[in-house]
Amino acid sequence: MPDTPSRIRVALLGCGQIADAHLQEIRKIDFAELVAVCDVHQDLADQAAARFEVPHAFTDMQRMLSATSPDVVHVTTPAHTHCSLATQLLESGVHVYVEKPFTVDVPEAERVLLVVKKTGKSLCLGHDQLFDPIWLRCRKLVDDGVIGEVSHVESVLGYPLSGQFGRQVTGDPNHWVRQLPGGLFQNTISHPLYRITEFLTDIQPRVDAHWYASGNATFPTEMVAHLRGKTVTGSLFFSTRIQHQRISRVYGPRGGLEVDHDGQTIRFIRQSTLPGAFGKLEIPWRHWREGARNLRQNLWRFLKSDIHYFAGMRTLFELYYRSILDGTPPPIAYEEMLRVTRLMDVMFRHCRVRTGAKRLAALSSASPRMADWKANCMAEVEEEESVS
Amino acid sequence: MSVLVTGATGFLGQRLVRLLREDGVQVRCLVRPSSDLQSLRQSVGEVLWNGVDVVSTELMDSDRCRDAMMGCSIVYHVAAGLSGSTSTLFLSSVVPTRGLLRAASEAGVQRFVLVSSLGVYGTQAMQSGSILDERSPVDPHPHLRDPYTYSKLMQERAAWEVQQETGLPLVIVRPGVIIGPGRGVLSARVGLQLGPLMVRMGGTQHLPYIYVDNCAAAVRQAGLAEGVDGEVFNAIDDDLPTAKELLRMCRRAGHRVKSVWIPRPLIQPMAATYDWYHRWSRGQLPGVLTPYRTASIWKPLKYTNQKAKSQLGWQPSISFDEAFHRSLPSHGADA
Ligand SMILES: NC(=O)c1ccc[n+]([C@@H]2O[C@H](COP(=O)([O-])OP(=O)(O)OC[C@H]3O[C@@H](n4cnc5c(N)ncnc54)[C@H](OP(=O)(O)O)[C@@H]3O)[C@@H](O)[C@H]2O)c1
Repeated sequence: MPDTPSRIRVALLGCGQIADAHLQEIRKIDFAELVAVCDVHQDLADQAAARFEVPHAFTDMQRMLSATSPDVVHVTTPAHTHCSLATQLLESGVHVYVEKPFTVDVPEAERVLLVVKKTGKSLCLGHDQLFDPIWLRCRKLVDDGVIGEVSHVESVLGYPLSGQFGRQVTGDPNHWVRQLPGGLFQNTISHPLYRITEFLTDIQPRVDAHWYASGNATFPTEMVAHLRGKTVTGSLFFSTRIQHQRISRVYGPRGGLEVDHDGQTIRFIRQSTLPGAFGKLEIPWRHWREGARNLRQNLWRFLKSDIHYFAGMRTLFELYYRSILDGTPPPIAYEEMLRVTRLMDVMFRHCRVRTGAKRLAALSSASPRMADWKANCMAEVEEEESVS
Repeated sequence: MSVLVTGATGFLGQRLVRLLREDGVQVRCLVRPSSDLQSLRQSVGEVLWNGVDVVSTELMDSDRCRDAMMGCSIVYHVAAGLSGSTSTLFLSSVVPTRGLLRAASEAGVQRFVLVSSLGVYGTQAMQSGSILDERSPVDPHPHLRDPYTYSKLMQERAAWEVQQETGLPLVIVRPGVIIGPGRGVLSARVGLQLGPLMVRMGGTQHLPYIYVDNCAAAVRQAGLAEGVDGEVFNAIDDDLPTAKELLRMCRRAGHRVKSVWIPRPLIQPMAATYDWYHRWSRGQLPGVLTPYRTASIWKPLKYTNQKAKSQLGWQPSISFDEAFHRSLPSHGADA
């Protein structure tokens, strides 16, 4: 029998905030060994190494690869660097885990996947919330037929800009987030979107999307999108005007499930079976019982110390590492990565077209990259406007 | 004379700019594009605002920072992140500090004043009741401290490294907890604020506080005093109360603080238990309370501001009593 390795050597590139979550979760996996971290800023690499007891910290990716020969490298850098870093890593012969969003657009995504094919190395994308315990429970209820065939999925993300990061994005027209083709949304809507696409599996659903600036904001801060597949529809609502929240609702002919990802609760949405005024007693009675059930379940999980914000990440890492060791396909299909990226492209394009050429022209284009995108969008929008 | 101030829009920075302007110094404020200038401008006043100019740039943009420093004899580096994740704090404080010192050296600046923090000392290893002064060693294990203190420790280390490299005259001020209008008087040095409840940790520890105007004066002097290059100064007020006394002062002033008391002998066992649970549960509760951190922050020590008084010619001109009253939430508009 060939000697298959049973442990996996992991390195990480980009020691920002989300890297903390990765390092913390990787450390919990007993067959994974953290061998190095890397960041363009030595200070950042050093702090990650010190806090998570990683033996080596680098500022140069190639040096890290040759000195520590990891099997897999996690890419936790800003979105616009994913394509180039992932391709370089794959070509250097390592497997790659990329944080969401995959890339900034479809051409970049296709480029990366081409290199995956060419090198035979595998790649996993950070759609980690699909593996969160509460979402897995929702999936199971759906698979058990509790609500019947899924007909509609609703995904809500509340993302107030009142924090430190939000203030910077708001106050600085050249902030890197605002340079992305999908602006603020490029960086944030992957999670709510792939919760919809898990059930809405059409390759090219019809998309209707719109974004706008709320209050005094000078850039789009709110977004609504409607997706229409053959049998399933989806709606996505992103707002900076509501409290932070991640809520999904999955509907079928026999009712709906409301998942609160932060509260780790599930509630049934179902019509009353009792006539008239009795129904007004039945529904709160059910809510009360569901509340008790959710409390019991979470209490039990708490006692087992099973409540972890990034639990989905850890599960996904484990599945991915296993797939590398076993030589099986990664847990997120390549077609799915491409499909979600394409949907984002289409949604953003829709939004830009609706913004109209006039207002688009007024947007700042301080960096050459932004100017490029703007020129492209303008062309698209003008073409669209001349047709209609 | 012209000086440059980073973090000019902040709590301390605004007071520093005003003091410097009152001395007739021309002040160039380095702010980031997202900074809000309104309250700085208000605090300086329209008359003195004439001698202020503002350069808007990211601190990471060394070229622009160097250009802004041209013609300035002193750089006061006050900007720093106060909250957020460790990496965010490092990006706000540690990384830009290296670039700023290099830029200052290239621009021919004659003195670089870095505002650090009194938290950088290795108090965990000190004897209870001993005197903390500028000769006390800094914490040898920065990463075991809270993210903010960690970033300040590494910011200082980065500054000394570049100082060695470039020979740029560097002076460091380490203020205690800065109090003042709008900031209140309660802090982590008293205990843990859990919602409306203050969990007082011990109570006999003196609170190393400094009133914001006193602090601004100390920082200003660190730029102006002669013969102090390469020196470090602790900045704290006179007549510091203990945690228990402070809560009593609050009560007397009509501010009831709901508090419970954790007696000193229980603090370490409690932290050890919490830390054990944090590890056992693999982080179900965040690892914020560790024996190392609690021993660093709530140890009863004696503080002295003698060095700043004698070498900087500084005096805390506002008494602690006055500072306390001005910092209470009920005190009228920003004084
Ligand atoms: N407060 C205390 O109790 C205390 C105690 C000891 C030492 N210190 C030190 O004293 C200094 C001032 O503190 P403070 O209380 O005045 O804080 P503050 O009110 O939060 O002000 C911080 C200042 O730094 C600026 N700043 C923060 N991150 C920045 C970045 N990444 N790039 C550019 N500018 C940035 C802020 O600019 P924006 O206006 O754009 O946000 C603001 O002007 C800091 O160095 C702090 O570490 C404070």
